[in-house]
Amino acid sequence: MTAIAKKSRKGKYKLAKTGPLMMIALPGIIYLLINNYLPMFGVFLAFKDYSYMRGIFGSKWCGLDNFEFLFATKDAWIMTRNTLLYNAAFIVLGTVCSIFLAILIYELGEKRRVKIFQGSLMLPNLLSWVVVGFIVYAFLNADTGFVNNTILKATGGAPVSWYSTPGPWPWILILVYLWKFMGTNSIIYVSTIAGIDKSIFEAAQLDGASKWKQIMLITVPMLKSTVITLTLMSIGRIFYSDFGLFYQVPQNSGRLFDVTQTIDTYVYRGLMELNDVGMSAAAALYQSLVGFILVVAANALVRKIDSENALF
Amino acid sequence: MSQTKAIAYEKPSNDVRNFRVFASVVLTVITVLTLLPIVLIVIASFTDETTLLANGYSFFPAKLSTDAYYYMVRQSSTILRAYGITILVTAVGTLGSIVLTTAIAYPMSRRDFRYRGALSFFVFFTMLFNGGVVSAYIMWTRIFSIRDTLFALIIPNYLMGAFNIFLVRNYYENAIPTALIESAQIDGATELTVFFRIMLPLAVPTIATVALFTALAYWNDWTNGLYYITDTSLYGIQNLLIRIMNNIQFLKSSSNAALLGTQTVDLPGTSVRMALAVIGILPILIIFPFAQKYFVKGVVLGAVKG
Amino acid sequence: MKKILCLTLTLLMVLSAFGSLTAGAEGYDKVVYAYATFNNIPTAEVLDTIEEKINSVTRDLINVEVELKPISIWEYDSKVSLALQGGEQIDVFQTLGNLNVAIASDMCYDITDLIPTCAPEAAELVGEDWLKACSFQGSVWGIPTLKPIALTPMVIYRKDLAEELGLDMTQINSVFDLTDTLRAVKEAHPEITPVAAVNAGNIGLQLTVENVDYLTDDYYAPKGVLMNDEMKVIDFYATEEFKAICQLARTWYNEGLVMRDAATTSSTAAELMSTGNYFCYIASYSYPEEDTAASLQAQSGNYPIGAKIVSGAFLDTTAINALTWCVASTSKVPEAALKFLNLTYANSDVVNTLIYGIEGRDYVMKDDGTVNYPDGFDSTTVPYTAQLSCGTLGNFFLMYPMEGTNPDSLAWEQDQNKNAKTSAALGFTYDNSRVKTAYTAVTNVIEQYLPALVCGSVDPEVDIPEFTQRLQDAGLQTIIDSKQAQLDAWLAENGK
Repeated sequence: MTAIAKKSRKGKYKLAKTGPLMMIALPGIIYLLINNYLPMFGVFLAFKDYSYMRGIFGSKWCGLDNFEFLFATKDAWIMTRNTLLYNAAFIVLGTVCSIFLAILIYELGEKRRVKIFQGSLMLPNLLSWVVVGFIVYAFLNADTGFVNNTILKATGGAPVSWYSTPGPWPWILILVYLWKFMGTNSIIYVSTIAGIDKSIFEAAQLDGASKWKQIMLITVPMLKSTVITLTLMSIGRIFYSDFGLFYQVPQNSGRLFDVTQTIDTYVYRGLMELNDVGMSAAAALYQSLVGFILVVAANALVRKIDSENALF
Repeated sequence: MSQTKAIAYEKPSNDVRNFRVFASVVLTVITVLTLLPIVLIVIASFTDETTLLANGYSFFPAKLSTDAYYYMVRQSSTILRAYGITILVTAVGTLGSIVLTTAIAYPMSRRDFRYRGALSFFVFFTMLFNGGVVSAYIMWTRIFSIRDTLFALIIPNYLMGAFNIFLVRNYYENAIPTALIESAQIDGATELTVFFRIMLPLAVPTIATVALFTALAYWNDWTNGLYYITDTSLYGIQNLLIRIMNNIQFLKSSSNAALLGTQTVDLPGTSVRMALAVIGILPILIIFPFAQKYFVKGVVLGAVKG
Repeated sequence: MKKILCLTLTLLMVLSAFGSLTAGAEGYDKVVYAYATFNNIPTAEVLDTIEEKINSVTRDLINVEVELKPISIWEYDSKVSLALQGGEQIDVFQTLGNLNVAIASDMCYDITDLIPTCAPEAAELVGEDWLKACSFQGSVWGIPTLKPIALTPMVIYRKDLAEELGLDMTQINSVFDLTDTLRAVKEAHPEITPVAAVNAGNIGLQLTVENVDYLTDDYYAPKGVLMNDEMKVIDFYATEEFKAICQLARTWYNEGLVMRDAATTSSTAAELMSTGNYFCYIASYSYPEEDTAASLQAQSGNYPIGAKIVSGAFLDTTAINALTWCVASTSKVPEAALKFLNLTYANSDVVNTLIYGIEGRDYVMKDDGTVNYPDGFDSTTVPYTAQLSCGTLGNFFLMYPMEGTNPDSLAWEQDQNKNAKTSAALGFTYDNSRVKTAYTAVTNVIEQYLPALVCGSVDPEVDIPEFTQRLQDAGLQTIIDSKQAQLDAWLAENGK
């Protein structure tokens, strides 16, 4: 082994390395091949007029018919707009808030409190959307909800029937999203900060840099590559939305559709009765495809500016 | 405790101390706000059903009751068994996931690996496209025959995911100096040795993170149980809870109620549903502090090392 | 990509090799029977005992061994669909309100020719008209569940309050008569909201519109209906009847006579009634007035409950085929499957074992022929019960009544089934597979507007025109036209 390593340093540096590295990756590759790639024959469904009797391969081809419903009405514009804008908000606000939390948690520097805060902030992530829907309802329902009954009463505000007032919902949904995921997501950044070479901070401290300056000039820039990686991954899924957040939390209230309808909820509502296998496959393929194009473009852009941080 | 001392030892300046006070205050506020809704659920689960319906949810309900939990106690053997299954699945699944994820991420992090880009793309592609439930179902049940086995709860979907792989890759790339790998290789270390002796020990904070995410995913999962499990003795806790919850949701939707005749069904009440939610997170509340010991150690350890 | 294709193809060949592994034991045909249950799913061992009990009947009678697949109601559709797509054996399944979709996607086996030989009793019991409701293009695709199906809209109210205020509920013959009563309640008890929602987005008014044939659409999302026996498909939301309902709801809403959150509430009517904060709700039931009231009392906080019919029952195709039993198109033993299905209509042992389990262990028989759970057990603790599925399996009228039910009501129910007004288009099933795109768009628009309109939380003068316009934009006319065309063809074919 030693001989190979030495030889490789001289000339065929990369070639010699492929084997062992591949071996390490192999178990993972096999798993992905089986779990993710093999079932991909399912995408054919998007182009089929599905018949249970004939099965996936026997069913008749129907061209792009299954995709038509995604673009047929002006709802197409609303749901696409909502999906994109919410995801953009989640990416930006989610990242900022998670980093903020992570820095605070990291700077505590005391184990017991780190434990308590981190543990508590993670709990919302364990609740199902149905339950989250109940909680939000407890706050916002018109007759017995907290906001109307306690807060607005105390401040003398007029009661609002929240579930038929679209205006505040973008904020409510963003708040619920942050509440549910911020704590868990911050953990990624805590661990990234933990990986920063501590001597950099020490040097900065010796130079008299304040804590604030250290954070802004060292910690935040060091998170750049993690932020880029996570953002690129989010862009890949930018046409998807968290169904529960947009369906259960607004209690499926029709008055709110203009601000709560996303591609996923539209597809769900539209196919509830039809139960069409081909059309739901088409919707998923459409969502993936757009995400794929966007992420390849974004990745190319990143590669151009900062090749180190490109995803692939 | 030695970690705490190590930090305290540095004799924090005024500046640092001020910042810590600031951080504590802000975090306390955020944490309290985050926990309020959860406290609300816990209280709701102890609220008398009629009070709950008449007055809505309240932090100070007029009448308390443990009826909701009585409903659970009657099914306690089923619930305990389901806990057992879920804990086992979570533990095994997380362990397996860590092994696979840290391994595949390593070549991806090596800038001198010829197929780095290709492999990364291969991994990332799985995050975007999937063949859907049906084809996966056909494969797992017909080729691998995992239906009604514990494997069905562990292997499909959650054993490895692109998101976690990239988290680890990113950490390898940025937090572990390439020089370290190179010098080890000059000393004659094989790739496997580098991986086990250098990468893994140094990646503890991110491994802890990924382990946590994976464990949460396994804990919260009910889809594998839905698709592949028909034998109720293999039900995990989420399958148990989701079944009760969703049956209620289903029957409440107007069209279904009319279809089946609402009068036939005596639904469990709201407080029971809240109790179900509490039961779903309770073990995490108990287990998490123990797991966290390692997790926080990883974080603080990484911080001290540098 | 080529490699992946190759791999997939190889796998498929392996798959098809696995396909032929479904032989029954010892010469009996094995039939897999998938049914929806509201109760707990029994363990595998318990299920074995139930299967054995049923098999002891079916082996001799029809040379069949059955495998039972109880599935939780909320996942029933998706699990059956997945299993059928996955090539798993399911021979008999039920449709929950979507028979037309099941037929259009080839889920069902054409049983027209098999009925005379394999299911004569079931066909006889449900009758020709009912079988027609499960027909499409001249073939029969399933057998409807035999149960009280005539749903009669009623006002379910607090008797004690009505008596206290001297309200004569027998005078209420339509929901429009109700407003003054509600006002009286509100005046005497300002703390009480007179009308509760039945469930989210529904205060029960919509179904009180009489003589509507929904032409196999979801009752709560009709898209093109027949009204008053005219064979012209119309837009339900543009009718005067619909407008009147919305205006009534709006009046109630404005005067505080109906709960404000009705469009999004997370509680059901019975739950709301049990708080004592509500006076009544409007819903459809298939039992006579007194029985309905009696059966609802326990769920409604034990307040004395009364019921008054406010509209007539009406039978259209959906009413009958909402719960239909089908043989799967993928079944390798369609005849055996249908024979077994037949027994769930004709054989008391089979159907009662399916519902109640094994006597002594899961239920006990009382002297008067009614049954109950053994002492110390209830529906959640007995090893097996599917009691809550009683109205969805085979023949309801063969099942042992639960203790406490009134035997007279069965007669009333059978009477209602026979005598309820029926639509002239009864038996027509609409195939929506040509207009799926319009369907998804229209369904979304309905979801957006309908709940708020029928709950009174928006002004119908403003919203109905907007609603109907959006429906037109979404393609409702396409659906109506295609429905009319199919209906005309059907009428011609059936000589009407």
